[in-house]
Amino acid sequence: MPDPLAVAVDGLTVRFPRSTRPALVDVDLRLRAGERLLLMGPSGSGKSTLLRVLAGIVPQTVAAHLAGSALVDGHDVTTTPLPELSARVATLTQNPLDQLCLPVVVDELAFALENRRVEPAEIGQRVQTTAERLGIGHLLSRRTAALSGGEGQRVALAAALVADPEVLLLDEPTALLDPAGVALVGRAVSAADRRVGADGGRRTMVLVEHRLDELPWLPERLALLGADGSVEIDGPTTDVFWERGKDLVAAGAWLPFDVELSALTGFRPDASGSEVSRALGAPAGGSGSTPGGEVRMRASSATVQRGGRPVVEGVDLMLRAGETTAVVGPNGSGKTTLLLGLAGLLPARGVTGGSVGMIFQHPEHQFLTRSVRDEVAYGLEHDDSAVEHALGLFGLDEVAGADPFRLSGGQQRRLSLAAVTALDRDVVLADEPTFGQDRRTWQAVAGALEGLARSGRALVLATHDLRLAARLADRVVVMDGGRVVASGDTESVLGDHELLAGVGLPPPPLLRWWRSTGLAVRPLLAALDTVPA
Amino acid sequence: MTALAGRTLAGNSWLHRRNPTVKFAVVFVVSAVMLAVFDPWTPTVLYVLAVAGVRLGSRIPWGTLLTAHVPFVLFSFSLLTVNAVARPGEVMWQWGPFDITDEGLLVGGSLAIRTLVIGVGAIGFVLTTDGTRLMVSLHQHLRLSARLTYAVLAGYRLLEQLPVEWQTIRMAQAVRRSGHRPGTLPRSPRPLLRAAFALLVTAVRRGERMSIALETRGLGDGPRTVYRPVPLDRQDAVLVAVVLGAVTVVLALAATVGWLEGPSALGVF
Repeated sequence: MPDPLAVAVDGLTVRFPRSTRPALVDVDLRLRAGERLLLMGPSGSGKSTLLRVLAGIVPQTVAAHLAGSALVDGHDVTTTPLPELSARVATLTQNPLDQLCLPVVVDELAFALENRRVEPAEIGQRVQTTAERLGIGHLLSRRTAALSGGEGQRVALAAALVADPEVLLLDEPTALLDPAGVALVGRAVSAADRRVGADGGRRTMVLVEHRLDELPWLPERLALLGADGSVEIDGPTTDVFWERGKDLVAAGAWLPFDVELSALTGFRPDASGSEVSRALGAPAGGSGSTPGGEVRMRASSATVQRGGRPVVEGVDLMLRAGETTAVVGPNGSGKTTLLLGLAGLLPARGVTGGSVGMIFQHPEHQFLTRSVRDEVAYGLEHDDSAVEHALGLFGLDEVAGADPFRLSGGQQRRLSLAAVTALDRDVVLADEPTFGQDRRTWQAVAGALEGLARSGRALVLATHDLRLAARLADRVVVMDGGRVVASGDTESVLGDHELLAGVGLPPPPLLRWWRSTGLAVRPLLAALDTVPA
Repeated sequence: MTALAGRTLAGNSWLHRRNPTVKFAVVFVVSAVMLAVFDPWTPTVLYVLAVAGVRLGSRIPWGTLLTAHVPFVLFSFSLLTVNAVARPGEVMWQWGPFDITDEGLLVGGSLAIRTLVIGVGAIGFVLTTDGTRLMVSLHQHLRLSARLTYAVLAGYRLLEQLPVEWQTIRMAQAVRRSGHRPGTLPRSPRPLLRAAFALLVTAVRRGERMSIALETRGLGDGPRTVYRPVPLDRQDAVLVAVVLGAVTVVLALAATVGWLEGPSALGVF
């Protein structure tokens, strides 16, 4: 008997009402039971749409026009009622706040089993087993509102897996997490690898994910959706990585660092520094950092309070015109609080300086108007040329009349950058400006931030994206538990891998490679970013 | 603060352990009965008994019980003053331009104390009843649809997040204004309206995603089991008997003594 197909998609085309072009075009995809797929593609190529079709949400809950067929375990996902389909397919998305609906963790886990009419005695046993497998046994009696991001994602995963579905769909499950959270969720996903039923066979998985370097495992098969919504590449992950790496980079996808380096330069990470530097045209010496101008803001043993208590204490900073400072640290280390204190949004002592602009983590929180053009023009007095210039610079001309709330995530990020660029503030603070972005959007954001610093602003980045810090920062400040634990020039701080690992920011392969080349980090990364894909 | 925010007080008192639906029904019935009582003395006796009962049954600290009274006391006081000065009748004394009437004081006093009786019931209910258990119990004992009860629970989770989200949005918007003064957030109508719009958009989207999360985990209208059922036992019957018994006895005694007044005290029937 041949292996049963867990997923069978044939000639699937999906078109949303009011949309000019189809989200998916003639997609064929067959997954055998137990097969694991890494789904890649530029933003807007329909990755999430495909997952939502497989989960039965499109078109049953979200209206869309479908052609072709999509079966999960032999069941038509477009017509099988969701409660029935939910026994076969489960989904984990980005944000635990979107997925956890009950006040206490144990009820969250029991929920899917109650809906399947499992006997209460068996529910208790299965909840316990699943929780222990995923390492969240200690969280069962906690209130969901009190969970951290990483804990919340693991609870959401357990709540999805407790009913032992045949197919697990993962839609950027680590986008909002810090490195420690990614590692925990990654391990939890691999712990959920085997099914309870079906003789402990492999669970079928479809994964959409950017942070491939940080996951402990990768699916064996890879499919790339093209910008037009059709399948462009489909094959074994390793083969596709090494043979079609350039195409994946061209699609804006992140790759494991060794694959990326090879696709861009033809070198493996063990190549000598001089070889790489010759190939990239990167200067072998010099820090690549810009000499700072006058001091625009100063923090001397600054304290920032939240809810009447000091949350950040003893911070010394000197922010100079044209200089970029990266504040790095795990979630909850006080990075955002420090930025809010510098921006005058939380009570702070010991901070003196000029006017401040700030980019928040979620662009939606900052929109003040109902059109992209008005948003960029906000705070400018009748300076139409500056507005048009900013719209063009950030590639927003085409959506200038659109409602900011209706843009895609990448467009929203560009808009918030355009708006802060148009305003002439001395200091610009950016809170996790690159979270959840594909390589192409990341490069656009990094370029825009670099432009802000070049134009004479003092720039501060709060981030756990060490690649961003290495690419842009002149100085790096490491925070942990509300205090600065290290600070210095970028190379000395990011070169201290014991220090980084000690605060829960294990250096990514990129930084380990950079240290082995002995080259200057900023020009090296800038050169990597300019290699045409 | 806990009491004012309407959050359940942690604890395992006798009232905490009672069936939420039964508690809800008891508070509802007593409140309904109070709507027909218009003399100030009967509700006063019931109020004293209710405070004693709630305190004994729930072990809520006196301080918390008192703080939770604040909104009800304010409402009571306004009922009393409005009725005292606005109701026609025999003038007892004059206060500035206002005539304070005998009838006004009696009816106003009755409405005020009635509010406190209902208030104490509500406080005892809210502070000893976990939201989830109430919803599970309404589903289990009153056959309320699972879709409805779980939508309410998800909505509660959404509400829990709104204060933080609201604060972030106001800060995120304030920093874009040129006249932003450090350490303050704008309080004028326009900025608040803009922040409210952003909050609405994010809340609606999150609500949609949560409803999808419930559906994809199998929530439907069909039969389902309950992992942690809410018990319904003899002690709940005791609660009903004690409360309704006490109310009946007080009403009967009040009628015998001649205190009890129905809606006719309003003078409109």
